[in-house]
Amino acid sequence: MGEVWTLAEYRFGKLSSVSFELLNRGKSLAQKLNAPLASIILGFAIKDEDINELIARGADKVYVVDDKNLENFLVESYAKVLIELVNEYKPDILLAAATTTGRTLMPYVAVRIRTGLTADCTVLDVEDETGNLLQTRPAIGGNILATIKTPNTRPQMATVRPHSMKPALPEKGRSGEVIRKKYDDSTFKTKSKYLRFIKDESQQVTVQDAKIIVAGGKGVGKAENFAIIDKLAELLGGAVGASRDVVDRGWKSYPHQIGLSGKTVSPALYIAAGISGAVQHIAGMQTSENIIAINKDPDAQIFHLADLGIVGDLNEILPILIDRIYDYKKREASANV
Amino acid sequence: MKIVVPIKQVPETSNVKMNPETGTMVREGVESIINPLDLYAIETAIRLKEQFGGKIIAISMGPGSALEAIKEAVAMGCDDGVLLSDGKFAGSDTWATSYVLANGIKKLGEYDIVICGERATDGDTAQVGPGIASFLDLPLSTFTSEILSVKDGRIKVKRLVEGGYEEIEMTLPATMTVVKEISDPRLPTLRGKLKAKKIEIPVWGLQHIAVKEENVGLKGSPTRVVKIFTPKVARQGEKIAVRDEETLNEAVDKIMDFLIKKEFI
Amino acid sequence: MYNSVTPEIVDELIEIVGSKNVIYDNKEALEAYSHDEVAEKSYAHMPEVVVKPSTAEEISKIMKLANKYLIPVTPRGAGSGLSGGAVPVEGGIVVSVEKMNKILEIDKKNLMVVVEPGVVTNEINNLIKDDGLFYAGYPMSVETCYIGGNVAENAGGGRAVKYGVTGRYIYGLDVVTPTGEILHLGGKRMKDVTGYDLIHLMVGSEGTLGIFTKIYIKLMPLPQAKVDLLVLFKDIDTAIKIVPDIMTFGRIIPTSIEFMDDLSFKTSCKYLNEKIPFEEAGAMLLIELDGNSKVELEEQYEVIGNLCMENGAIEVYIADNATTSERIWKIRRNIAEAWKQYSPDQSLEDVVVPISEIPKFMEKVRKISEKYDVPIPCYGHAGDGNIHATPVKNPKFTMEEWLDILHNKLLPDLYREVINLGGTISGEHGIGHKRREYMSMAIEPAQLEVMRAIKRALDPNNVLNPGKLV
Repeated sequence: MGEVWTLAEYRFGKLSSVSFELLNRGKSLAQKLNAPLASIILGFAIKDEDINELIARGADKVYVVDDKNLENFLVESYAKVLIELVNEYKPDILLAAATTTGRTLMPYVAVRIRTGLTADCTVLDVEDETGNLLQTRPAIGGNILATIKTPNTRPQMATVRPHSMKPALPEKGRSGEVIRKKYDDSTFKTKSKYLRFIKDESQQVTVQDAKIIVAGGKGVGKAENFAIIDKLAELLGGAVGASRDVVDRGWKSYPHQIGLSGKTVSPALYIAAGISGAVQHIAGMQTSENIIAINKDPDAQIFHLADLGIVGDLNEILPILIDRIYDYKKREASANV
Repeated sequence: MKIVVPIKQVPETSNVKMNPETGTMVREGVESIINPLDLYAIETAIRLKEQFGGKIIAISMGPGSALEAIKEAVAMGCDDGVLLSDGKFAGSDTWATSYVLANGIKKLGEYDIVICGERATDGDTAQVGPGIASFLDLPLSTFTSEILSVKDGRIKVKRLVEGGYEEIEMTLPATMTVVKEISDPRLPTLRGKLKAKKIEIPVWGLQHIAVKEENVGLKGSPTRVVKIFTPKVARQGEKIAVRDEETLNEAVDKIMDFLIKKEFI
Repeated sequence: MYNSVTPEIVDELIEIVGSKNVIYDNKEALEAYSHDEVAEKSYAHMPEVVVKPSTAEEISKIMKLANKYLIPVTPRGAGSGLSGGAVPVEGGIVVSVEKMNKILEIDKKNLMVVVEPGVVTNEINNLIKDDGLFYAGYPMSVETCYIGGNVAENAGGGRAVKYGVTGRYIYGLDVVTPTGEILHLGGKRMKDVTGYDLIHLMVGSEGTLGIFTKIYIKLMPLPQAKVDLLVLFKDIDTAIKIVPDIMTFGRIIPTSIEFMDDLSFKTSCKYLNEKIPFEEAGAMLLIELDGNSKVELEEQYEVIGNLCMENGAIEVYIADNATTSERIWKIRRNIAEAWKQYSPDQSLEDVVVPISEIPKFMEKVRKISEKYDVPIPCYGHAGDGNIHATPVKNPKFTMEEWLDILHNKLLPDLYREVINLGGTISGEHGIGHKRREYMSMAIEPAQLEVMRAIKRALDPNNVLNPGKLV
């Protein structure tokens, strides 16, 4: 039985938490298959503590490729390295997060090694009889779920929706093997060049990374009123989301858009304020763990999805809520002193 | 500048209905449209052409009815189109689809840029754009939100990533997938429609492009659909209405309880 | 002149409809029945009691009771009206037909559907769509309004150019008269000249002559294809000149020809962040065609499109799929909402003038707008001359100043101009109590007296929807 591989994401000298979510996924699959679990980490100046963290959180092996050329993500060089690794070690399963990196790299690689790839999975399991990976994903705007397998080729590749599983927790005293690989310069020859990263200052927390998202829709009324959404998001340490209508009207920039023509998210808490819940929007957020909806229209579709629904004007409710949260936090803080 | 825009015809999903018994989509009465995210790719191509001159070709793989999608692309401003259609292509997954499209594009001859929508709203995989780039061995920018410059055989673009934007530069020919932020698609005009009506769109089957039969359709697809089912979406939510001061406070209490109980604050 | 509803009368009402179908002594619950969609709060009035009957017999008993104790009764559908017709201006009893929401029969052989008045209009179409049929009535509130209210107001809407208004499709009505008699008018007969046409006396009577309990509606074959044209013109004159040409030269009857003046579409396009070059245009037409095949419609839009281009259109956009169609209709549908950003206080008017007089009417509107310093965006159904001239409160006015200008100066001026052009004050929203004081401007005294005589004959105690229409 080949190994189960998960692709760690190493950006700006840091492991992103999706790397640990993937380990959690990989762990249960590896157990069922009685196969070793390995993480792949590509990057530059990778710190030992990060490698050890992957082991502590469940990796039996870590394949490390540390090279100046891998400092920033470029699909050509990353793909070449990953293909080399796959061809050499022949894993059975290769998982990556459905991030911009995973969704770029994985299809590029899958084509070259002629194997199947399933996008943005929310459930992974093993078929009892065959040991095939069962990959379940939403399609047609979340209206259906499809279970897909790759019966005849290896590895079985999938990208996994971020936040669809909790990160694996570190265990003390775990040990694992570290395999360092080096490749010569020809591997890193690309027809593209990374220039720079520009931080989006409007997103203190990005919708893809956020545990909590506070999203506003047309019901917010106008661009100025969005301040209240921003404020609540900030207070909860969350990200600001927006419906298509809001982005189309220019009240919020596109990176905030959730839904069919925007981002698909699965935070632990999604607060939908003034969002009616058109298919367009629901497709992007229905796998959120908890949903609170606030809308003036009692018949709004969003209420069918909500764990808690408030029929009312968000511009009335949110200011009071913000005050209450603020008070609560102050009380908690003084109680803890 | 020669630009190729791969497009897909998809069911209009904003009012999609599901058959609760079979878990499949009700196709009757559902209109077919150009994948809405492909409109941004078409618009991007038109703007490049307006700036640098050249020619835009829309290419699609699908049944005969997908000609309509190609004609709509021509009505918007594409110069020409090709439909890759063959019974043997049916059942292709993203690997096989990328393979067919890449080979269709090869047959078009020299080109400078391939521009795809980020993903299709039905399959929602976002895998075919990168797949085409991989088959054609081209540099790739996914989630492209802006074209910064095109000169001396290079294109500089901005792509939307977690937490911000990246700028990358690619040598031409290159591939990109684009997001909504890149452009506002234009509406088809009467002139465009009349042009589209007159144009002959060639239909290429298996024998017209250099593809191997064992690499297309279900046979050529590494993945298999095991089952399709309808998700449970309805939640046992509580709903309360705000009518006055008192119920307003009650509602806020409820939210606070929820946030505290679930440890969000 | 009317008596109040006493607890004893409430007991009698409970006897008729059951206690769970009576709302009394619950201000919050009653409040929902005190207004329709007219935004101005001064038009609202609280009912004393709301009853929700399920049968004609129950309504008949309620009417007899009302006559006995001299209590006013106001019938109510979904409350989506725009003239205050369902508002209980004299208090008393509101009869809500919300419980009478059954589709009784779909008769495919006779192309008829028989429904109760509380059915949401769009539901009829959802139910018969798969049979290839449709009901052609299409008020803008089609997803919330009740068919009973549509009949009472003789609702018009977006498809009237080709399909006419509600009354054209009503072939039978069961009606409870103001005195509590139950009438069975018409039925599934396509032709019927046996006596006065009481059905069409009842249609558009705004709940003053009877309460409908059963409605027979004629259905049409459902068109299989649809195309929209959005046409940009440099000015209103050029746009309106095209309208009759579409039908005379083009020999095509569109489902709708919607008109938007620059004040309307510019505000809406800016609000929607729409990127079509709207700034160059002075007027827009949105023309919708339906038919049985895309090919047939392709020919038609070419004819109309070319006609427009040859006659001074700046650009013609064609939408023959859901994506583009939604995008161009959004401009039309968001006018009111876009103007709400400027001021939520608007008076949505629905005056009618002969189509050829629209440009002259628009000139008059501009003058009135300047005179009172009140923006009046105009949009609506150019194909039938029905224009939603919508005075919007200038924020510089206080509420008191605004209401004074609107009711005592602006609206009378506007209506006067409309009537001078051979038009009238309401094409589809009705009179209700919102426009009642202006009735004498639009209707000659002898005619108004005939209306009042009919009302007296049917409702001697004036208990059914008093304070409305006549």
